[in-house]
Formats: sequence, C-alpha cells, structure tokens
Amino acid sequence: MSKPTPFQRVEGEEIMALGNSSCQGCGHATLARITFKVLGKNTVYTSVPGCIWIALQGSIPLYWRGTVFEGGGALISGIANGLEAVGKEMIVVGFYGDGGTADIGLQAMSAAAERNENVLWICADNEAYMNTGGQRSGLTPIYASTTTTPVASESRGKKSNKKNVPFIMAAHNIPYVATASIAYPNDLIGKLQYAKELKGFKYIHVQSPCPTGWGFDPARTIKVARLMVESGIWPLYEVTGGNNFKLTYKPRELKPVKEALILQGRFRHLDDSEYEYIQGQAVERWRQLLNVDGKKLPL
Amino acid sequence: MVGNKAVAYGAKLARVQVISAYPITPQTTIVQYLAEFIANGEMKAHFIEVESELSAMVAVQGASFAGARVFTATSGPGLFFMHHPMMEGADLPVVMGVVHRSNKSMQPDHTDLMAQRDNGWIQLYCENNQEALDTALMSYKIAEDPRLSTPTVFGIDGYILSYTAEPVEVPDQEMVDEWLPPLKAPWAPDIHLPVQEWKKRQGRMYGSQKAWLEHDTKFRSSLGVIREVNAGFEKTFGRSYGNGLIEEHNCEGADAVITAMGTIASTARVVVDDLRSEGKNVGLIKLKCYRPFPVDEIRGLAKKYHAIGVIDRNISLGGGGNVLNETRSAIYDIAERPKVLGFHTGMSGDEVTPQMIRRIAEKTLKSVSEPVPTAVEWVGGA
Repeated sequence: MSKPTPFQRVEGEEIMALGNSSCQGCGHATLARITFKVLGKNTVYTSVPGCIWIALQGSIPLYWRGTVFEGGGALISGIANGLEAVGKEMIVVGFYGDGGTADIGLQAMSAAAERNENVLWICADNEAYMNTGGQRSGLTPIYASTTTTPVASESRGKKSNKKNVPFIMAAHNIPYVATASIAYPNDLIGKLQYAKELKGFKYIHVQSPCPTGWGFDPARTIKVARLMVESGIWPLYEVTGGNNFKLTYKPRELKPVKEALILQGRFRHLDDSEYEYIQGQAVERWRQLLNVDGKKLPL
Repeated sequence: MVGNKAVAYGAKLARVQVISAYPITPQTTIVQYLAEFIANGEMKAHFIEVESELSAMVAVQGASFAGARVFTATSGPGLFFMHHPMMEGADLPVVMGVVHRSNKSMQPDHTDLMAQRDNGWIQLYCENNQEALDTALMSYKIAEDPRLSTPTVFGIDGYILSYTAEPVEVPDQEMVDEWLPPLKAPWAPDIHLPVQEWKKRQGRMYGSQKAWLEHDTKFRSSLGVIREVNAGFEKTFGRSYGNGLIEEHNCEGADAVITAMGTIASTARVVVDDLRSEGKNVGLIKLKCYRPFPVDEIRGLAKKYHAIGVIDRNISLGGGGNVLNETRSAIYDIAERPKVLGFHTGMSGDEVTPQMIRRIAEKTLKSVSEPVPTAVEWVGGA
C-alpha cells in the first residue's frame, strides 16, 4: 500500500453526493465515499445486482454501466479493452457485492484476473444477499443466522465456513490483492492509492457490516467493523507483486471474538462450543498469517 | 471460401476493434480465423479470451459501451447461455454471428436463434457464404444506425455453410471503409462531457410498461433501416438480398408461394424453377429477416397469392413453427386471406432434398383449388 493521505487531504473533490438510498448505518456508503474520492472523476464504475448497485446508483455521478449478476468480470474486461481500443485512458472499477464476487460472479472474475485485465475490483462484502432480504452467500461466516440458514430446533445457522476469496485471488498471481475494512479508512485509502497507480488486475476485499442483516444498532457499524478486525476474524493484509504477503494492521493482542460477535443478532444463538470454534479459527488464522508476514506466499 | 471464413472476413473488413468469443462447434473456426488475422498483423483488434459464452457477450457489450466496434460468434448451446445478457444489453450495437446448431444434434436447425426472438435483437438469416459476408457488413450498418443502436445477429447453417467452400467475392477494404465509417458512440464515457449530459445519451430503456412500448416501437422501426441498408449495399457493392427483409424468387404470376430461410432457400430456388418450367404456378419467398417480423411484407404476399406454404426449420415445442404462427398472425385480419400451410423439415440438420421441397410446393399449390389436410406436416427426417 501507499502511505495513506488522510481523507480530508485526498486531492480532488468529493464525488459522492449527499444522501443515498442505502439503509441507515450501511457500511457501503462509507466505502463508496472513500473509494471514489481517491479514484477521482476519470473513472468508469460498474455494478451487478446487489445492495451496492441500489445504494450508489443515485449518488455517484460518474460514467456507469450495470450488467447481469454473473457478468461483472466480463463487463469490466470489455470496458477496459474497449476504452483502450478507442484510445481513452480511464480507471475501470467494478463495485460488486459478495454474491457478485464469490458466488455467481466468481467464474468471470477469475477469468478476468487470469487475463490480468487492467481493472480494479472492489468487493463490498456484507456477508449475505442483503439486497434480497439476507440470504446466505459463500461469504457468510459459519453459524450466522440468515433467512436461508435460520436458527431453529434443527439448525444452528450457516453450516460451512466463509470462502477465502482474497487467497483465491492471490493464487491468480495478480499485481495486487488486499483486504480492508471501513473502520480503517487510512488503511483503505493507502490500498486504493496504491492500486490506482498499478496496471493489471487489482482486488480489494472490504468488509462492510450491515446493520439490517447482521442485526446491530446502525450507530455501531464502525464499532462492529473494528472489532471484527481487532479480534482477528477479518485481518487486514495485502499481497503485492504476485506473492509478497504483508499484514497492514497488527493489533498487539487479539480481542476475544465474543466481543465482536455479541453485538450481532445473527450470532445471538451461539453457545460456548460455537464461540470456541470461531475463537480457535481466528487465533489459528492469525498465527499462520504472522508466520508469513513479510514473506513470499508459496503461490 | 467456407462460411465461417466468410463471416470472419466480414468482421475483419468492418474493422472490428474488440472481439470476444468462446469455442463451440460449429462456430469455433470463425474466431480461430480472427485470432489468426490478429496474430499475423492483418487485423488490429483486442481479443478477449473469455471463459464462457456468457462472458463473451457481456465483454463485447462492455466494449461496445466503451465506444468500440465489437464482434462475437457462437452456436446453439452457447447462444442459450448468452440469453441473459442478450436480454439485458439490447441498447448496444453489438453484432454477432450464429452458426446454427440444433439442441438435439450438432447439425443445424434455426431453433437456437429463434429461441432468442424476444430479446430485442435484429435477426437476419443467410442462404450462402457470400450472403454471410455481406450480411456481416450490413449488420454493422444496421446495428450502428444512430436511429437504432440495436444489437444485430445473423445466422448461417452449421456444416452446410460453416465448413463448405463456395466462391465468395471479398469486397475491397477501401470501399467498405467508405461505406462503413468508424462507429460514433455518443453513449460512451467521455471525460470532456459533463456526466449529467452523458446520462441523457444513454439508450437503456428500463422502467415501467411505457419502456416496453418505446422499445418495441423503436425496434420495429429497424425494418425500414434494414431496407435502406440493403439498398445502399446494392448501390456500393452491386449485390442485395431482396428488399433486405424478404426476397421474391420466380413469383411473377404465381398462385401460391412457399417460404424458406437459410440454406433451404437455395434448394427451393431450383425446385421452384423446375416447377415453373413444368407450368406449375408456385414461387419462392426467401425470408431473410425474422426479427423484427416483416409484417408489412407478409401482408403484401397475402394480397398477391392464394396460398402460402411455410417451411419451418425450427419449432417452439408445444407451439409449432415460429414462422408459420407469425405468418398466420400477420394476415389474420385480411378478409380475403390465403391458405397458410405449415411444414417442419430439416430439423436437427436432417437432409432436405429437392423432392421434399417439391412435395411441399405441390401441396401448397394444390390447396388453392381443392381441400388439403391443414395439419402441420413433418417432411423427411430420419
């Protein structure tokens, strides 16, 4: 990442208009405001169905095109090639959700990354199909209650783990892969600024908590996002030059996952063994990431 | 030159800037030829090597949105996979070549393309390899007409044309350049244009019922543009295809006509000529444009002939021949309407012989003067 410029001092004007159609406390608005100010006006942005399309449509006055849910990777590839063919230099960014990235959109995204198209992919991850009322996605964490993995006598929420898309993308050996969180704007800005200057496929996966779907007070979005990072559930890192791994934020000590999860209605049902499972996962993941911090991944 | 090469030459002569496609038999060699043109420097274009037909369609739509002239090609199952983005991106002048492939065999019938009839894509069908090349060029002129900006697809019969060599005259590049200037794309992102102004230029017709009506009205207006382009092509290159929508072959003084599409029309020409020399008054209507359906032309036929025998190399399962149904619908409110008989033949690429077409033509002619069974007839087939 680049040395971040604090948001107020990022050059250029704010692109996002006041007011948007996202839910109260939605992390996507924060993410979009930061992203578009850093990228600037010479940007074409694209959407596939999801919260991020609906939330931003009226409030980002930029060149825009939407496409089918599964088509994000192909659309940005087409636009980037088309602009190059007609001799226009513009930033092409895909602003897609977890479904459009990890589920229905994975195939076209993987192909675009394999071709190393000159585009930026932002995954605005709210960890379920929130736009259709909160159904589970491949990026929903284990045990989370969603409308298709409800908690009841025969069900403890989602049965499987969250797909590790940043590492899937790193395995494509692309110029840049990063995770980010809306609670760490400087970290996000530094990553966007770095990605903006790079040619090739750039992937930034941003956790963006959803008060509506995760079940927490809309005033606490940033707090929830921060605790997810500080507990090691959502570590912040980047992979540059194809395989150089670096943690970009290292809490001195991880907070217990319970501090992050207890605020979220989707985990209200967790029992001790389930907390323990998630805690164990977070600690083990953190240990492994520390091991490779500053080193090359065997990709 | 084989049909797939003729199509590739069409895209090359049109100076296509972005190509994206995925391999599928019998389309594959079209994009192989184009990849070769690019590899050996004969053609300057971006080739996006996608992982699926769906992505090929979305990628060329993206490039078209960016202001580039684009081309893609596919066959049967690949076309079905493109259905979703075809439906969504009906505001961009994408041009596609389809090499017909049945979904019950690798051989051709027109069910693949006709299954896309509701997408808002102009559909043109080709009889031979010369027509394939010429139609590729005309497709750009039609699709990119500023009054339309409408995607256009043209079809050639798999195997029968795709891998069969015929003499093809390749137009001079300079003449094509003059006739088909570079694409102007007012909808493309343009940093010199305020975004609010740019937004007004977007052709995407999305919204309530009115959006459907406006789209349908604009789409139907393409019939006039197709006629114009066909006439203009004749003026520049000395070749044309009927009026661009239908062609009447040996119809003068005929009592009855048969209609055919694609390569069946070639066989039918010979049969009709033979029948006329035997004194049997039956002509041939070649249907080149299926979408929008040329209602005025079909109604014109209804006023001239007493019977129309419709050959459908396609089926809407449970509904019947698409051309038969639309022909009957187009003429229903004409008081003195002709008999309309339906025939399926050549399905799954099964052979269509002159004898089979003769039977169809003779039955149609007979219906003018005496009662014949009106049930749709399946002719030939293994």
